[in-house]
Amino acid sequence: MEEVNRSTHPEVPGEPTQTGTSILEKATATIQGFHPINKIHQHLCAFHFYADDMTRQVEAHHYCGHQNEEMRQCLIYDSPESDARLIGVEYIISEGLFMTLPDEEKPLWHTHLYEVKGGVLFMPGVPGPVQRKDLEKICKTYGKTIHFWQVDRADPLPLGLPQIMMAFTREGQLYENLTQDVEKRYGVSYHNERENRAYMEGPAHGIHPLANAAGKGLKTVLKETDCKPADTVPRVFV
Amino acid sequence: MASSDRSPGPMPPGNGAVPPGKPMTIGQHVLDKGAQMLQTLKPIKQMSQHVCTFAAYSHDMTRQIQTHHFVHRLNQDFLQCAVYDSDAPDARLIGVEYIVSERTFETLPPEEQKLWHSHAHEIQSGLWVNPRVPEMVLKSELNDLAKTYGKFWCTWQVDRGDRLPLGAPALMMSPQEVNLGIVRAELVKERDRKYNICTDDLKKSRVDILGPEMMNPFADYWKKTGKGFANGIEQIQMKLRAPFP
Repeated sequence: MEEVNRSTHPEVPGEPTQTGTSILEKATATIQGFHPINKIHQHLCAFHFYADDMTRQVEAHHYCGHQNEEMRQCLIYDSPESDARLIGVEYIISEGLFMTLPDEEKPLWHTHLYEVKGGVLFMPGVPGPVQRKDLEKICKTYGKTIHFWQVDRADPLPLGLPQIMMAFTREGQLYENLTQDVEKRYGVSYHNERENRAYMEGPAHGIHPLANAAGKGLKTVLKETDCKPADTVPRVFV
Repeated sequence: MASSDRSPGPMPPGNGAVPPGKPMTIGQHVLDKGAQMLQTLKPIKQMSQHVCTFAAYSHDMTRQIQTHHFVHRLNQDFLQCAVYDSDAPDARLIGVEYIVSERTFETLPPEEQKLWHSHAHEIQSGLWVNPRVPEMVLKSELNDLAKTYGKFWCTWQVDRGDRLPLGAPALMMSPQEVNLGIVRAELVKERDRKYNICTDDLKKSRVDILGPEMMNPFADYWKKTGKGFANGIEQIQMKLRAPFP
């Protein structure tokens, strides 16, 4: 069964940006500081799937910055264009940091071993030998990905609950038409890259059994809670 | 399993750094600079505003945080923001907020609207500021934004002491003019001191800014119901197309 790639920029509902607003924003963009954003130095292209449904797969463009040698934080967009939708975030940590996570937390994180060695995760525009220097590090890391906008089901707006996402872990999971589309657009070959990346190694202690949702699925569920302290909130009877 | 209103458990204290980890090596810096020069990074170059404001956790509104939104406008009715806990280069990415116009908000079903919050009070009261931008430059923009609604998910509860992003994403709410929505004075004072501004003066100059024509009854859900929302993450059977993992 082929996955229909529906994240092809249906318009986000709304009027085009007014000239006055545009001019104002050009001014604020010039005057203000954007230090946390300026830290973002890298674009990675990969795929995620929903932690409760492997048949729903999403092309994910990561824009990453290092917090330190062992931790990156990434903004995820549905495309590399200027009108790209911000659909989620990913945090990437070293094996060392992963091991310090509470056991309850570990299943929310996934490994990058297959994606990197399989050639699926790559840095558009960066020559192979250069990107491999970084990818060999990413190969050993764990990631936590949350998506807020389900563009694969053509949601016009970020509706519903945040979704934990997983990464691919073996051959046969990722839809071929999705990868072929990316390969064509970027002029890359996952298959060729696999050979170039054969030397890379994954986490030193192997893939932790609790990672990758501990091999199960994960689903977000909303619960109503009482505001505390509850008796200070006035009840309005409609 | 995990829940946004509960910490997953302890982590080793280490040296207390948030996040923990070794400092960047020279080699990594060189790699990063190289990539930055070769790649266009278009989406992140679209951010046009930095907004500093406050938010509270929907499941516990006594926990109030200062937030830094880096805003990208997609059209006149929709903005998307990367949210950080400061505006320094080492700021932690703590979540994402989406902002829609009144017009767009009214098209959403009530179950969705309950997850959103209004911005009128936060803007009128001067809590929402664009550091370094003169007020008069912003006036028309603030008039528009005061009528918008936001949906803010927090993925890293730094204020709880989490040294890495733990747990389920938490829904956030906005400052309001009544009890649980009132931002603590010392938080506002600290922010004002840092940016050399006076929130009270801004409030006076914004007295003519109006909120939505009709405040939506489902937004700011806690005000009428005394209820917040927490996210739980539960284990279920994954729908597969191939063996996993």
